[in-house]
Amino acid sequence: MTSMTPAIELRNVRKEFRVKSGMFGGEKHVVAVDDVSFSVPAGSVLGIVGESGCGKSTLARLILGLLEPTSGEALVDGKRLFDLDRKARARLIQPVFQDPFASLNPRRSVREIVSLPLVAQGTFASADIDKRVAAMLDRVGLPGSMANRMPAQLSGGQRQRVAIARALALEPRIVICDEPTSALDVSVQAQILNLLADLRRDLGLTYLFISHNLAVVEHVASEVAVMYLGRIVEKAETDLLFRAPRHPYTQALLASVLTPEPGLGVPDVGLGDIMPDPANIPPGCRFNPRCRIAVDRCRTVHPETRTDAAKGMVECHLADA
Amino acid sequence: MSEPILEVEDLEVTFGGRTAAVRGASFKVNRGETHCIVGESGCGKSVTALAFMNLLARGGKRTAKRMTLAGKDLLGLSDRQMAEIRGNRMAMIFQEPMTSLNPAYTVGSQMAEVLTRHKGATKADALDRAVALMRKVGITAPELRLGQFPHQLSGGLRQRVMIAMALMCDPEVLIADEPTTALDVTVQAQILRLLAELQRDLGLAIVLITHDLGIVARIADQVSVMYAGKVVERAPVAELFGAPQHPYTSGLLACVPIPGKVQRDKPLGSIPGVVPTIQPGFTGCAFRSRCGFATDACAGDIPRRHATTTHDYLCRLGVNEARERVPA
Repeated sequence: MTSMTPAIELRNVRKEFRVKSGMFGGEKHVVAVDDVSFSVPAGSVLGIVGESGCGKSTLARLILGLLEPTSGEALVDGKRLFDLDRKARARLIQPVFQDPFASLNPRRSVREIVSLPLVAQGTFASADIDKRVAAMLDRVGLPGSMANRMPAQLSGGQRQRVAIARALALEPRIVICDEPTSALDVSVQAQILNLLADLRRDLGLTYLFISHNLAVVEHVASEVAVMYLGRIVEKAETDLLFRAPRHPYTQALLASVLTPEPGLGVPDVGLGDIMPDPANIPPGCRFNPRCRIAVDRCRTVHPETRTDAAKGMVECHLADA
Repeated sequence: MSEPILEVEDLEVTFGGRTAAVRGASFKVNRGETHCIVGESGCGKSVTALAFMNLLARGGKRTAKRMTLAGKDLLGLSDRQMAEIRGNRMAMIFQEPMTSLNPAYTVGSQMAEVLTRHKGATKADALDRAVALMRKVGITAPELRLGQFPHQLSGGLRQRVMIAMALMCDPEVLIADEPTTALDVTVQAQILRLLAELQRDLGLAIVLITHDLGIVARIADQVSVMYAGKVVERAPVAELFGAPQHPYTSGLLACVPIPGKVQRDKPLGSIPGVVPTIQPGFTGCAFRSRCGFATDACAGDIPRRHATTTHDYLCRLGVNEARERVPA
C-alpha cells in the first residue's frame, strides 16, 4: 500500500432497508445511509457524530463489510471488502463495540477471546499465538494473570481492554470504534481514550471513531463528520468544526453539550419537539422541521453539498450566508 | 428556601449481609432545591434512592438513625403507609422510561391510576389533570397521547410522560435516577430544562442521581459525591467545582473532556483502577487503593473535615492540601 491510498474511502454509498409497516401494510424503504462519500487518510482519526437513528452504526457496518451497500462503493485500503475473504478482511480492519458486556463470549477465557482471531487464520503456530496474546495483553495494560479469567470476573474497563486486545491481535491497520466508551464510567472512559490514543500513535493505526459524545470526539479525532438522517451534513477539521460550526444542526449539537461549568444553566438548543424519523424523511433539507433559521427554500429544495479546501464540507442553504 | 424536606442520617444498606452498598450516608434536601448525588457505577447512588423510597430489591436491608419527610418519620411506616407516600408525596423517575412504563396499558390509564388510587379522584378528573400536566411538560397533542401505548412514543416523549406521571399528585420530592442517560444529548438538554422549570414553578425538591458532572454543574444547588457507599464530599455546586477537596472529586473532574478546551496531544486525567466492592466490616478510606495521596494512615479512621460551614469532605488531608500538592 502506498501512503497515498486512503485507509477508508466511501464513494456515494447508499444503504436501504426494507421494513414491514403494520400488520397488513406494505413494505417501506428506510434509507439509513444516503449518498455518503468521504475518505480517511491512513494514520488519522475521523470522528462521526449524530443522534440515535442517524445511520452512524449502519455506516460502521458497511465499512466493516458486514453489510453490502445498496449502491456505491466502500473501499478499505483501496480494496472492496466484498471481494476479500473473511480472513483477509480480518487482517485489515477490526471493530471495537460499545458494550463490552455483550461483545465478549461469557464462556471463554480472556486468553481464548484474544487468541481467537489468530487461531481462525489457521497460519499461526500455537507457541507464536501464546506469545502474541501475552504481548497484546501487556500492550493494553492487562496483567498476564488476567489471561485465565472469564469476562464475568472483569470490570467494564478491563473488558473493553480485552475487546481492544482482540481487535489488535492480527495487527490490523484500521479500527472501527463504535461508541467504545459510552458504557463506561467517566474515570474509566478516560483510561480507555488514553489507551486508544497511545495505540494509534505507536502502531500507526487509523480510526473511524463513532460517538454521540462530542467532547470525546473532539479529544480523539483529527476530522469530524456530522450525520443527520443518513447524510453527512458537515465535515471539517476538528478544531475548525468545534470553533466555527457552520451547519445549524452542528451548532445545536454543540450547544447541548453540558460542560462541568456551574452557573451556566441548561442551554436552550432550539431543536423543538419533532424527532427525526428515518422512515419519513422530509422534503427539501431533511433538517428543516427542527431548524430555527429555516426559510421557504429549505422546505422544498435539497441543499447542495459545498466543499471548500479551507473550511471543509457543509450541506445547508444558509451556511455562511 | 432552606427548610429541609427530606432528611436522612447514617443510611446503611446491605445485601444478604455480604455487600455493604451504602455505609453511613447522610443527606439533607431542602424545599425547592436540586440536590445531586453523583458517583460512578457501584458507588451506591441508585441504592440510596431506592432506600429513600423503600423499594430495595429482595435481600436488601436498610437501617438509618433518622429518615424524615417534612419532619415526619419514614422508618417506622408500614408497607401500606409507605405506599401512601410513594407516588404521592415522594415520586420517582427512572433511567429507562420503556421499562418503567407498563407496555400493556395506555399512557392515559397509567397516568390516571396514580390520581384515582392516591386521591380517590374520578377517572374523568384524573384524565383532565393528565392532559394538563402533559401540556406542562411540553407534550404536543396530549389528548392523542392518552390513547397511545408506550411503544408508540419516542424516548424523549416517554421520559416526559414519566415526569408528568410523577407530578400527578403534586409531590414534594421528586427523585430522578439518571433520567436522561438513555437519551440523545439534544433531548437531554430539553428534559433538564424542563425539570429546572418545573422546580421553579412548583417549588419541588429534586434529588437527581447521575454520573455526569456536566449535568451536576448545570442543574444542582447542592452536591453529594458518593464513593463506595459513603458521601465523600458535599458542598454547594459552585464550591464543589471551584475548590474540590477530596482527591476523588478532583480526579473525577480531571477525567471530563471539555469541548473547546481540549489539548489533544495530552492524555486526559484518569483515575487508575476500579471502584472496589466493599464487604461489611471494611475500615479506612475506600478510595485509598486508587489515590495518589494514600499513606498507611488511610487504613485507619478518616475524619470528616470542613472546608467551609457548608462544605465538608471525608479525607485525612487538610483543606486545599489535595489541590496544592502533587500526588505521589
